Amino acid sequence: MRRLPDATPRGRAITVDLEGESIPAIEGEPVACSLIAAGENVLSRSVKYHRPRGPFCFAAACSHCLMRVDGLPNVYTCRTPAKEGMRLERQNAYPSANVDIFATIDWFFPKRFDHHEMFAGVPIAEDVMAKVARQLAGLGLLPKEPGPQALPSRTLHIKVAVVGGGPAGLEAARVLAGKGVPFLLLERDANLGGRLVHGTPEDGAPFVPEPTAFPQGSVLKRATVLGLYDDEHGRYLAVASQEPEGLRLLKVYAERFLLTVGGHPPTLPFENNDLPGVFAGRAASLLLRRHDVAPEVATLVGHGLELHALAHLLTQRGVEVAAVVDLKGPLPANAHPKACVGDGLKAHGLRGVGALSFTPQGGRKQKVACDAIIVSVPVTPGFELARQGGAKVEFDANAGHFRVDADADGRTQAADVFVAGDVAKVGTAKDAAAMGQRAAQALLGGLS
Amino acid sequence: MSKALVCTCEDVTVSDIEHALERGYQDVESVKRFTGFGTGICQGKSCHSAVAALLQKSKALKSEAVVPFTPRPPLYPTELRLLASAPVDESVPPMGGVPQELEHFPSALRPQGPVPQKAKVVIIGGGIMGLSLAYNLALRGETDVVVLERGYLCAGASGRNGGGVRMQWGTPALIELAKRSIDLMKVFARDLGVNVWLRQGGYLFLAKRKDTALRLEKNAVLHNKYGVPTRIITPDAARDIVPGLTMKDCLTAAYNPEDGVIFPWAFLWGYAQGSVKRGVKVETYTNVTGFETSNGQVRKVKTDRGDIACDTVVLASGAWSPQVAKLADVALPNEPHRHEILSTEPLKPFLSPLVSVLDTGLYFSQSMRGEIVGGMGDPKEPAGPNMGSTLRFVSRFARALTEQLPNVGQVKVLRQWGGLYDVTPDNNPILGRTPGLDNLLQMSGFVGHGFMMAPAVAERMAQWMTSGTSDELFTRFNLRRFESGTLEREEMIIG
Repeated sequence: MRRLPDATPRGRAITVDLEGESIPAIEGEPVACSLIAAGENVLSRSVKYHRPRGPFCFAAACSHCLMRVDGLPNVYTCRTPAKEGMRLERQNAYPSANVDIFATIDWFFPKRFDHHEMFAGVPIAEDVMAKVARQLAGLGLLPKEPGPQALPSRTLHIKVAVVGGGPAGLEAARVLAGKGVPFLLLERDANLGGRLVHGTPEDGAPFVPEPTAFPQGSVLKRATVLGLYDDEHGRYLAVASQEPEGLRLLKVYAERFLLTVGGHPPTLPFENNDLPGVFAGRAASLLLRRHDVAPEVATLVGHGLELHALAHLLTQRGVEVAAVVDLKGPLPANAHPKACVGDGLKAHGLRGVGALSFTPQGGRKQKVACDAIIVSVPVTPGFELARQGGAKVEFDANAGHFRVDADADGRTQAADVFVAGDVAKVGTAKDAAAMGQRAAQALLGGLS
Repeated sequence: MSKALVCTCEDVTVSDIEHALERGYQDVESVKRFTGFGTGICQGKSCHSAVAALLQKSKALKSEAVVPFTPRPPLYPTELRLLASAPVDESVPPMGGVPQELEHFPSALRPQGPVPQKAKVVIIGGGIMGLSLAYNLALRGETDVVVLERGYLCAGASGRNGGGVRMQWGTPALIELAKRSIDLMKVFARDLGVNVWLRQGGYLFLAKRKDTALRLEKNAVLHNKYGVPTRIITPDAARDIVPGLTMKDCLTAAYNPEDGVIFPWAFLWGYAQGSVKRGVKVETYTNVTGFETSNGQVRKVKTDRGDIACDTVVLASGAWSPQVAKLADVALPNEPHRHEILSTEPLKPFLSPLVSVLDTGLYFSQSMRGEIVGGMGDPKEPAGPNMGSTLRFVSRFARALTEQLPNVGQVKVLRQWGGLYDVTPDNNPILGRTPGLDNLLQMSGFVGHGFMMAPAVAERMAQWMTSGTSDELFTRFNLRRFESGTLEREEMIIG
């Protein structure tokens, strides 16, 4: 990965400290982005096999980018803004993440290691293993300091709480604002828009509204919803709000909850799918669109609308796209010139991606050199919050994922929980916005 | 080395999933537990659907049977210090709890075909009690045994507890049972081929009130008499065992270095596999719907997969026992009480013993994987089968924990969940015959501590059932004691 030569200056140039070495960074961008742009691909070692890992999802939905940051363990560097002098250490590696002797475990156990049965009941061996296992287990170290207290918590009461400021949430907010219904839109990112600003561009996608489009105080950014709980006063969202002075816990009671949280970039199982240099499609588009960071030579694998759009986007920005392997086919009319239908994926490389091999339909196995493999498959719905709130979740066998069971207007099994967008049905941003609009209208029924 | 990963947080490969399927773990909840997928930092965000799709493709599950494991709050790793700031009104009982557990598991998960038409022994409840009893019966030659479980193995309290095992009890009966259990846990892997990761880091009990301190001192004398090396130690000595412990408001501490923690799930797999290998049938996702009784005997156990004629029925359903007993018109005095618990991000070892503040019911330990696992009882918790999670609990727990161990303030909680204590009026178990239904045997009422008692209790119970020799355990703790009024209360209950 590298920062593109035509990168727009987006912030102050600073340096961060990676285990004693100064690394150039851009203030405020995710520090994992700065690290990969500077050629630091290995950010951690995996928990069991000590396999090298670099950032994958840029959505706090995996664990590849966790580092010790300013003395705190297991910090998502894909969501942590770079700050001058920030101290970064790679975890779970001895003596270093680049040369980790425990990576031998990966070679001793080529398929898996069954810790349930290994050395079970073997005298001495099992005791030794227990001692070794305890030392090897765990990620990161206990912080040396208690840390400052959190800011005093705050309790809010609102008619409608909207979770997620992507196309569905924004469209719903627009409807609610138009009808004068008090609402609070919670967005975990620093910007509104979600996939509209960091996904692949889509024809006919709605525009991201200006912040002034909504009543003052009705949008809260950098606010991560932790759960949908209930207590003696009713149902509420527990929210971690990152404020300038520190972290604050909010309890947001609402009469209706509209969950437009989108989806998570899923794991696509293929050999060495965890190598540094394998990125989720949404991560690649975010890096490109928001930070002008991209591979030199990319290969793309996956299926669905975003795969081919992303391939075109990369080409437009001067990235060499060496192959696009569509796992489902048939190829759409707008397919990238390098696209084929294929399977049999395998990533190659020791501490990072060096090549992708695959078998095109009706052809012979090929191996293509690249420095990144981009996995663009439809996201898997983030159903967790809706399920906590009492919505039913079902398995969509065609799509191969769980999604919230909702009607066309986003009604779920729980009377006060509505959903819209990818969480209910994975589709385009336009689809998500349309459902957000319908859900916002539907939830007004019976509202006091 | 080339691997296809499906859960990268926990390094679970596609081959691990196939291995779990070969072992008979086919539903999402069971595969999660056996492989560890979805238990890491991301809590399944990137792998949950991917694994489900693999299970569905393997034809192990019908589409309707592919249900997700219960997603637990918090949705993202959350620092204890932030959770500690949530307001709590201690004057009112805890209300609510999320997510609501499925009342019934989907019928698509129910195995095809009927259950056996008859069996010598039917054990109701596939938790540690029922499975360890089945294994011990099989060891003694009684293999005509069917175990009925309404969910997957580990669905109940056996899969939800904190894994603490201790000899520090207040009555000789429980001290001796716990001692024997820990001895059996030491050889479990040898006998059953599954690691249970017993780590004897000790239990450190702290006392804030004078009466609690006196109780610890009195108990230590009793423990020593029964060969348990508990000692009363000063706050400074306690801080030597747990660096960073504040001992705030604590008067004294009791420490037994031979207590410890185990990995609970492996016991169920071990006992179940060991039983099945010897001919026992373990029927998961099977509900008991009633009993056929005549002349003071249970004749048949009715299930949603057919009836089983039997000689003996053992009720080992923990907190669900009263509800099952009611189907046979037997009233049990047990009451279910929710106890909540949480687990943090895994850290390198820093905490050796399980620490418990006996006055408040706070307990915490570090698991073999490095997570801080802990809970705290709520004095206002009402009786009922609620297993939901509350913010109130994490807040109370975070405050109580950071009071004693401030440096964990920035450690992040990964998930919280709830389970049911099976509470009896005197905090002692209910064992032995049922008045009026002679062949219905009780094996419940362990008040949240059954897991550590099960190996020893099951051994005694199997011996008693197969040999016919008398054992005072099954007369002393039988149901009649609640009528005769001679109750000896166990006070060493955490929570």
